[in-house]
Order: sequence, then C-alpha cells, then structure tokens
Amino acid sequence: MALEQLSDVVQRCQALPDDSYSSEDHDVFTVAGRSCIEEGHSPQVLSIVLDEKNQSVVRSMGWNLLPPLVQVLLRKDDKHLPQCLAIFNHLLETCGPKELLIGLLELLEHDDADRIAESLHLLLNPLQKVLLRLGGRKASSLGMTLSSVLDQLAKLPVPDTKEQEEDDVFSLGRCCADLARFVGPFAQEARLNQSSANQLRNSHKTAGEQEEGAEDELRTELLKFCMKTLSHPLLDVQIWDPDTLPLSPLRTFAAEILDILGAVGESLPGLVFHPLLKKKEVPGFLEEEVRYPKNSLACLAHLVFVHHLAADTFPSVFSPVFCLRCNMEHISILLSRTETSRLQKGLELYEKSLVRVEDGSLPADLLEIKTFLTVPQNLVKVMTICPKHDLRTKGLKVFQLSIDKFNTEAKYRFFQYMLRTSSHSGVEGYIIKNIKNQIDAALQPGNGNIWFEGVHLLPLLRKVFSLPDGPETDLLQYLDRVMESLNLLRYLVIRDKITENQTGVWTELYKIEDTFMKPLRVGVNMSRAHYERELQDTREKKKKNTKEDSVLSVSVGGEKLPKMTSESQIQALHSALHTFDMIESVLVRIEELVEVKDGLETAGEPQLLRA
Amino acid sequence: MAEPAREWSDEQLKSDDLPKKDVIKFLQDNAAHSFLNEHKLLGNIKNVAKTAKKEQLVIAYNQLFQSKRFKGTDPVEDVTEQVKAVKVEEKPKEVKAEVVDEGPPKYTKAVLKKGDKTNFPKKGDTVSCWYTGSLEDGTVFDTNIPAAAKKKKQTKPLSFKVGMGKVIRGWDEALLTMSKGETARLEIEPEWAYGKKGVPDSKIPPNAKLIFEVELVSVD
Repeated sequence: MALEQLSDVVQRCQALPDDSYSSEDHDVFTVAGRSCIEEGHSPQVLSIVLDEKNQSVVRSMGWNLLPPLVQVLLRKDDKHLPQCLAIFNHLLETCGPKELLIGLLELLEHDDADRIAESLHLLLNPLQKVLLRLGGRKASSLGMTLSSVLDQLAKLPVPDTKEQEEDDVFSLGRCCADLARFVGPFAQEARLNQSSANQLRNSHKTAGEQEEGAEDELRTELLKFCMKTLSHPLLDVQIWDPDTLPLSPLRTFAAEILDILGAVGESLPGLVFHPLLKKKEVPGFLEEEVRYPKNSLACLAHLVFVHHLAADTFPSVFSPVFCLRCNMEHISILLSRTETSRLQKGLELYEKSLVRVEDGSLPADLLEIKTFLTVPQNLVKVMTICPKHDLRTKGLKVFQLSIDKFNTEAKYRFFQYMLRTSSHSGVEGYIIKNIKNQIDAALQPGNGNIWFEGVHLLPLLRKVFSLPDGPETDLLQYLDRVMESLNLLRYLVIRDKITENQTGVWTELYKIEDTFMKPLRVGVNMSRAHYERELQDTREKKKKNTKEDSVLSVSVGGEKLPKMTSESQIQALHSALHTFDMIESVLVRIEELVEVKDGLETAGEPQLLRA
Repeated sequence: MAEPAREWSDEQLKSDDLPKKDVIKFLQDNAAHSFLNEHKLLGNIKNVAKTAKKEQLVIAYNQLFQSKRFKGTDPVEDVTEQVKAVKVEEKPKEVKAEVVDEGPPKYTKAVLKKGDKTNFPKKGDTVSCWYTGSLEDGTVFDTNIPAAAKKKKQTKPLSFKVGMGKVIRGWDEALLTMSKGETARLEIEPEWAYGKKGVPDSKIPPNAKLIFEVELVSVD
C-alpha cells in the first residue's frame, strides 16, 4: 500500500518542474516513504531513490526519510541494513545540507544515555560530511551542531573511578573520541587559515573582508566549543595520569581540546594567565566573559599545571610567583563550589603552584590581593565542613603548605587576619600553634626577627590570649582555641627568660592575667559547677526513672532520633568535666611556673596570682 | 641643678625591706635619660621591676652617683622626664622591604647578533622573543622556534611585559639590556632562574643553571 503511494507520488513529481512540488506531495512522500522503510521495503525505496529521473524529488524531499532510516541503522541487526545504509549515504550527498543538518540534529536528541551514545556514534560522521558540504558558510551551522552535540553529551553520566572510565559503561569515553574525530577537519581548517593569515600579515596584504569574517566565525565557534568542553565534561571528571591509567580516552580528549585551542590561535599561557592580563576587547561575536568563561579557564589551568598536558608547548620561563598569582584566581573559582571534583582540582592546583615556590619567600604585599584572602577562607570551609574526609585532610595539608611559603612578615599578617576572620575554634587553635612555632623559630640564635618577638609580637599575643565572651565563654565550644592558647602561654613562660624577655611576655603578663587567665579560671569554675549540677540531676533522674518530656527532638531523614539515654548523658557530662580539669591543670601549671620564675627574681614582691 | 642626696646606704639597698620599685622610682626621677636607657630602666615602673634584678639596681644606683649623670647633664635634654611606655599600634607599620643590593648580577650575556642599539625596552613594555632554553649539559628543555623554518610563519614569538616579575629574574634583567633585533646567549644562575626547587615534573632540576639563546624581535 505504502509502496504504491510512494511510487505514485514520485512518478507524478517527475513531470513537475523542480521546487514546484505541493505541500501535499511532500506529505504523501514523507508518510509513504517512512512507512515503506518501516515495513521493510527498503530495497524498493533504494531503487526509487537511486533512479536518475527522481533526483530532483529526492533532493527536495529525501531528507524526510532520515528518521526511520536511522532507526534501522541503530538496530544493527536488521536484515535490510545494507540497503538502508545505501539510501542514507545517497541522501547525505544529494539533499540540501541545511535540511539534512536539521534532520540529523533532531535525531540526536534522546533522554536515555544508551540511545544518546549510540546516536552520537552513528551520526557524527554523517554530520561532518554534511557540514563539509557547506564550504565557507559552515561556521554558524557548525556552531549549532556542536552546541546540540554537547547538550546531549552532558546527559551522559561521568565515571567516578578509573575502573569506571576503563569500562566506559555509558560510553562517555567513546563519544569524546568520536567528537574529537568529528571536529578534526574544522580545526585543521582553522589552523591553515591562521597560517595563511600570518603569511598575509607578514607580507602586508589584506585578505578579502568576507573571507576574514568567515574565518573569524569559524575560529569563534571552535573556541566556544573548547570552552564548553572544558566546563563539561572535563571540569567534572577526574583525569588519570598515564602511569595510573595508560589508555585514557578522557585524557586524550583533553589533550585534543588543548590542541584545538592552539589551532584557533589561542595561546595557552594567554588563556591561563588571562585573569591577570589586561587584554584589549576583542571585537567579535562573543562578550569577554562568554568568550573566556572562568570555569573553563580554571579547568584549563588545572590540566596544564597538574596534569602537564601540552607541557611541550607551554613556555618554561614564567616566574613561579607569577604563576601562583594567576592560579589563585582559578583556585578561588574551584574552591568556591562544593562538588568533590572541583574541590579536588582546586586543592591540587593550589598545591602544585605552591610547591614551586621556595619556603619563606612570598612577600606580605601579596596579601593585598583579594584572592590571597578568599582562598584561605574557602580552604577553611573545606577543612571544617566538607563531608569528604580525604578532602578535609588534603585541605589542611595545603593550608599549612601555604603558610610555610610566606615570609615572616606575611605569616604575621596572615595569622592576624585568620584570627580575626575565621570564627572557628579548631582553625584558630591551628593558627595559634603556628604562631608558637614561629616564636620558637625566632628565639633560635641568629633567627631573630621583628615580627615574632618584641614589639610586634604583643598585639598578636593579645589576640591569642583572649576569651571571646569573657568568663562566660563556652569552654567546650572554644576548647581547641583555649588549649592552644594555654599551650602557647606555658611555652613562653618556660622558654623566655624573665631577664631576657625577648617575646615581651613578662612585661605583658599582668595584662594576660587580667584579661585571660583570671576570666578563664572563673569560667572553668562556673562551667564545672554547672555540669556537676547537671550530672547530679541526671543521676537522680535515672534513679527515679522519670520520663522526661524533652522540649527538643531531633529528626534525620524523617526519622526521629531516639533521646539520649541517661547513660550517654552521664558519659557526656563526665567528659565535659574532664575537659575542665584539663584546662585547669594547664592554668595551674602556668601559674606555678610564673611564681617560680618570679620568686627567683623578685624576693619580697607580693605574690602575683592567687586563684 | 643640685645633686640629689643619697637616700640609702649599701646595706639598706641590698636589704629585702627596700622594694625594687622604690629604687627604680628614684633612678627614673633623678638620672639622665641616656643613663636610664643604658641600664634598661626606662618605662613603666612595674614592668621594669619585673625585668630588673635587685643587684642590677644597686649597681645602677651606685654608678649614678659615681658618674653624676643626673637629669640635665645630657647634652640634649629636651626629652620628657616621664618616658611613656612604648605605645604599640594594632597594625604594625608598613615595614618596607629595603631594596637590598644583592651584589653582582646572577647572569651573563654574550651578544651573538647586534641589535639596532636604539630601541631598548623599559619596564612595562611588551617584548616579543624567539628563544631556546637548555641546561648546562645541552638538554633543550624549551623552545618556541619550530623545527622547520617554514613553520615559523605559523607560530608567534613569546610576548610579555618585561621587568614586571612575570618571568624569571634573569630574563627580566637581561632583556632590559637588549635592543631590538639583538640575539644574545644568556647564562642564568639558579638564583635568578628556578632556584632550589627547579620545576618539578619537568626537565629543569633543582639548582639548575639555565642557558637561553634569545632573539628580541620587537618592543612595544
């Protein structure tokens, strides 16, 4: 039935002049043709399509047959596969490129990862053929194609482990390889355009304006494509180095993207250092921010500095401090998100940039650059609230590394800044420990500096020896900070001779007693009294076994958590009391040490401290 | 100014009954500024009391009467009698890093081809160069000159702002001495190259002396 209809309409159209086919003709052809293919009459359709007399019809309407043809081709085991393939290829050569393009792009769209992967694998080659037929007018069509392809690619799940990349269950690796192959000739064309443009520039001739426009458009589309891939999938996948994964389609793809960037005339240093270079506005199709999206540049910097892709072409003359400064922009972008892949990349890039710099060499004026303050803030977030343990650990490691690279003055300023802004007891405690190490270093013979001894040290110490809420400070919440402060004070009192007073602690001591030690004593006593009372109450409650209606209840995932048993409560209270004992013991020790030292020096002076 | 009277005998001074603070107060009231400075007796009495030993104070007291360096005997005594305690600001003042003259430059330059001797780059100018970098043993670790001369038309020389710390110091310093068109051979000590660290994961090892052949193509 359908076959007859098809033959009829084709024959009728043979008689008509080109392009005067009615819309009814189009419809009949389309419906009948599709049905024929679906019903298995492909051999007959093939002969119709190949018939010399029908070429005008085919050129005009043939592309409508694409959907059922592609269905058959995707099925792979259809018995009419060869015929359908022959029809398909003929259409690719005969029909109008624009119509073919639209038809093919429609067939890329799926929701299902398998279908997407298979369609891409099948259709990228035909798409390439069609685009090449467009000649000099291909740029915008290429852009449209690349955009659609990347949209589909974005729907494929990314591998989480190197085994997953090897297995490539969702074919992301294969699709990327297909995509690279697809883009190849266009990148090559851009490369050749560039070199001939260079030659023309060198011989002071100007190319035809139209040509230049088309070449620029091609370059722009390819640049847009590269930037998009850098954002996805490359930013979200882990790239494995050759020794871990010798054959990595994703790493190969990344390298190819870098190559394409070179083909369109972008220099890698120019891109990586882009945030710091004041580039002139490039007149063209894209705004600066769209042309060089920050996420993409950050991914690029990571590929270059951590994975050493394109290492052969990246100049080895840039100063490590300059590289660090540029990379801080990228690191800031990467660390300001919460996705594991981005944080991982941010930490790696930061580490690699720091390692190239000598210890104690970074000057304090770097701290006037915004990113040198925002990145540590981001790091603190990673160290304290990131759910992944190895990221927290790595974050801390990189944090300490960054401190080690600062010179003495910069360390001083940095510690001041962190104490002022971090508002996390653990971080403050860590900084205070660093301060202690710096003081220790400064007290070594020959190492004296003006920052961690004498006049400048005192303001810093004042920040350390303080309680946020005076005697009412929650000692359990601020435990890390309080303990490190006490440790530091004990260290100073032991290490610094009262007669030398290099750190100034002895002249400051009476103030420290007033603003820190005495309130702390009071706080410890108050807290202890409170918790002891709580403990007693809890024990009595337990004895009486009264059910208490608590004011609060906690639920997680919709399930209410059981109330803490009396046993656990008692344990927790004991633990708190133990903490207070610990604080007190260090306090007492310090007081003892002070008395002893003072006693040796100031016979007859009134006692300094009584609890 | 009449000489102040000796209030205490040696025995009284050494006695535990006499608090340090009293001695210090006397000294601060009566001794010249320079004397107090030398004996570390300036500042808040309480502080001085903590850092000074009784024996030191006794010695100082006696020395004061021996040397007669009382107030008013300093050549320029226009300092205030009460030296205030050192005021420490919250933010330490900018301590500008002094430009330390580190000695001789840590690179050498041999001119292979003369430049125009007129166009010398200044700090902040954009320069473009062709270059080849190698280690002392001859290993080439970097170059932007493509292998085939024909391909040179397709690639561009390296451009950057000179004298701004964007490149290793040897380059920054050397290029400022080159004129347009000059080709030079630079031998750069590690201190002005990549130093103790070298460049990890690359051909440049720690403490490497680097040799560059550089052609300064243009200056903007």
